[in-house]
Amino acid sequence: MSSAALETKETVAGLGEKYKYGFVTDIEMERAPKGLSEDTVRYISAKKSEPDWMLEWRLGAFRRWLSMKEPTWARVHYPAIDYQDSYYYAAPKNTPKKQSLDEVDPKLLETYKKLGIPLHEQMALAGVAVDAVFDSVSVATTFKEKLNEAGVIFCPISEAIRDYPDLVKKYLGTVVPVTDNFFATLNSAVFSDGTFVYVPKGVRCPMELSTYFRINASETGQFERTLIVADEGAYVSYLEGCTAPKRDENQLHAAVVELVALDNAEIKYSTVQNWYPGDENGLGGIYNFVTKRGDCRGARSKISWTQVETGSAITWKYPSCILRGDESVGEFYSIAIANNYQQADTGTKMIHLGKNTRSRIISKGISAGKAQNTYRGLVSVYGKAENARNFTQCDSLLIGGACGAHTVPYIESRNPSARIEHEATTSKIAEDQLFYCLQRGIGQEEAVALIVNGFCKEVLQQLPMEFAVEAQKLVGISLEGSVG
Amino acid sequence: MTAALALPTRRVEEWKYSDLARALGDAGFGDASARVSAGKVPAGVDVFDLDEPNRPDWVKAHYGKLGGNSVSAVSLAKARGGIALRIPKGKIIEDVLSLNFSGEGHVRALLVLEEGAALTLSEEFGAGEARNAGLEIVLAPNARLDHVRVSPISDAVQVEEISLTLARDAVYRAHFANFGAKLSRTELAIALNGEGAEAHLSGVSVLSDRHADVTTQVSHAVGRTQSTQLFKKVVSGKAQAVYQGKVVVAHGANGSDSRQTAKALLLDGRAEADLKPELEIFADDVKCAHGAAVGDLDADSLFYLRARGIPEKEARHLLIHAFLEDALTDIANADLRESVRGAVSDALNRVSA
Repeated sequence: MSSAALETKETVAGLGEKYKYGFVTDIEMERAPKGLSEDTVRYISAKKSEPDWMLEWRLGAFRRWLSMKEPTWARVHYPAIDYQDSYYYAAPKNTPKKQSLDEVDPKLLETYKKLGIPLHEQMALAGVAVDAVFDSVSVATTFKEKLNEAGVIFCPISEAIRDYPDLVKKYLGTVVPVTDNFFATLNSAVFSDGTFVYVPKGVRCPMELSTYFRINASETGQFERTLIVADEGAYVSYLEGCTAPKRDENQLHAAVVELVALDNAEIKYSTVQNWYPGDENGLGGIYNFVTKRGDCRGARSKISWTQVETGSAITWKYPSCILRGDESVGEFYSIAIANNYQQADTGTKMIHLGKNTRSRIISKGISAGKAQNTYRGLVSVYGKAENARNFTQCDSLLIGGACGAHTVPYIESRNPSARIEHEATTSKIAEDQLFYCLQRGIGQEEAVALIVNGFCKEVLQQLPMEFAVEAQKLVGISLEGSVG
Repeated sequence: MTAALALPTRRVEEWKYSDLARALGDAGFGDASARVSAGKVPAGVDVFDLDEPNRPDWVKAHYGKLGGNSVSAVSLAKARGGIALRIPKGKIIEDVLSLNFSGEGHVRALLVLEEGAALTLSEEFGAGEARNAGLEIVLAPNARLDHVRVSPISDAVQVEEISLTLARDAVYRAHFANFGAKLSRTELAIALNGEGAEAHLSGVSVLSDRHADVTTQVSHAVGRTQSTQLFKKVVSGKAQAVYQGKVVVAHGANGSDSRQTAKALLLDGRAEADLKPELEIFADDVKCAHGAAVGDLDADSLFYLRARGIPEKEARHLLIHAFLEDALTDIANADLRESVRGAVSDALNRVSA
């Protein structure tokens, strides 16, 4: 390390905490009794006034979960989670849901304003509809009327279960089965809220949809469930953002996201994940154990995942595409940044089943401090996937000698006409690039942000314009205090 | 103890593509001991039969010391006999030394190259029987080993684990040619323990049927170490080719340089290729890259040759030869290189291109 780099590292280390969403909203909460049992599941279901079939579905999942083991294959280490020592439902009092934003508790509105997500006028200018999920419930959903005119259903999933049971029944659990994995099964039993989107045939959703997830209550797990269905020829772009308060405890976030794209449909799903990552000593932070999967069920359908993962103490997440329809396309663009004691084990699976299916994986992993960052991926071409194509590029950037960057790609091909290419590189920030910037009067910190943004460019370009700027800043902020 | 010695199934991640328990069936490897003998041993080389009592100090110092996998642990526990060879300090041996494996069951071999020694080793195999071989290789500072192994077609289960430790400036070059077995697993565990140590691995698998798995783990334990890997596979019929390569760069091993390439040509709708090039990096000042590709022959190249009047079948053969040639040129010893080339040509004639 150059002496300049060392010096800057020390200076920057002194700047301390940079997580600006770490505040707590003081609001009266209603919780389920602590712990997890069939009663907890019944409590949540009753709170949501769910029909019997939903309760049965949850109970089935819960019973199954009891017999499952927590997976240990990921490169992440954490003390055993006591699933009885957490609340599975926490909601601000004064629900039920308001008809208009004016009735929403001003404290909540203030919270979202602090997070940079004004639910009112600015979003109208930006043309983005928002569903705001606070702990276990959705507190506000904007622009429902405008979306209704287009025929788009955009509502909390708890509402969808009541109002559109047929749609929910038809698709829920068909992409991520109840029995899929330990955390997905747990989610199926206790999920509290999340977003449901249905875009009917031939409709291009007139605005960006987004959900902001906020964990506020302490000792609470958040289990959201998102289901997005794009019917034939439909298009929708969806963005989720996540933040949580600074706490010394670890909180569990186990979400399930299911996407279904029918013939000629396209879903673009973007995530800016900025859960509290823990402090510089690795204390606190969110355990982000998420199952995300898209099913390109129809011919010529397309699902594109873009993720910017900067937060969470632990990330365990593999947004995947099942390319079932002929000529369907799957994409995965990812930036995973791990600093201090963060651990990220993330990647994707592209399962080529249909003919002429194509997939593209671009993964950029950045490790700094004492963090461990793993790309884990699978590209599998089945016998019938004639002319399937995959291109994968995973690059890792290491900042400092105490972190780790790992790449674990699985490539399986059973079709001779398929073509799969995989490339991976690992490197550090080049001294000459840094020198070039410094020489032109750009500060060390800024130079690193600049170089890292360049490193991530291919992925940042995939984000909807409204969020690309925010994500670029986030990349810089997440690495502050790591230069060296 | 039985639990610890249980054979791996597909549920064990490292054996995901090679179900050893299933291939062997209930009988397992059994308790028998296979045999290994050395060909013409040049003067000055120490040979010791591991079945004899009173092991000399150099055997005691190294035998069973390199950590292996679960299957290697079985051969260590069950093998009676085997061979240990030592090339003394500074001894440079021009002739190829061959090790011949035969018979059914477990077998062990130990090869020690003392400081500055150099050797070319060729492994040869009896194809008929199920065998579990464990080979330990110790390279002292500045030692050089060229290693070539040709595994013939076999309808039995053939497993070999090769564990190596390399001291400062030691160089290991190895080539593994594989033509398929009921289940064939070649596992390399290489520890680059001294600065300047280098390991260069190459290999070809030409399968008209059957299975071949090459699994490597190269650990850059200290800095300024180098490793390269180049594995090419031609897979036809109902064959399955597997490559799992893991490169680990330890904390502080700055200046490590590692490249890893695995490519497979699939020639049949029933064939399967599984590649898993893995990187585990704990140091920042490193150069590590890997690439992997699976596909058919390049359509443009094929067209180019056909446009010049070369019939399709011949054109395909030419391109497949060219595809494999990369990995064959790395064999340093000319005789061994030609012999591997011959075996590859024979195998390609069986491949339904």
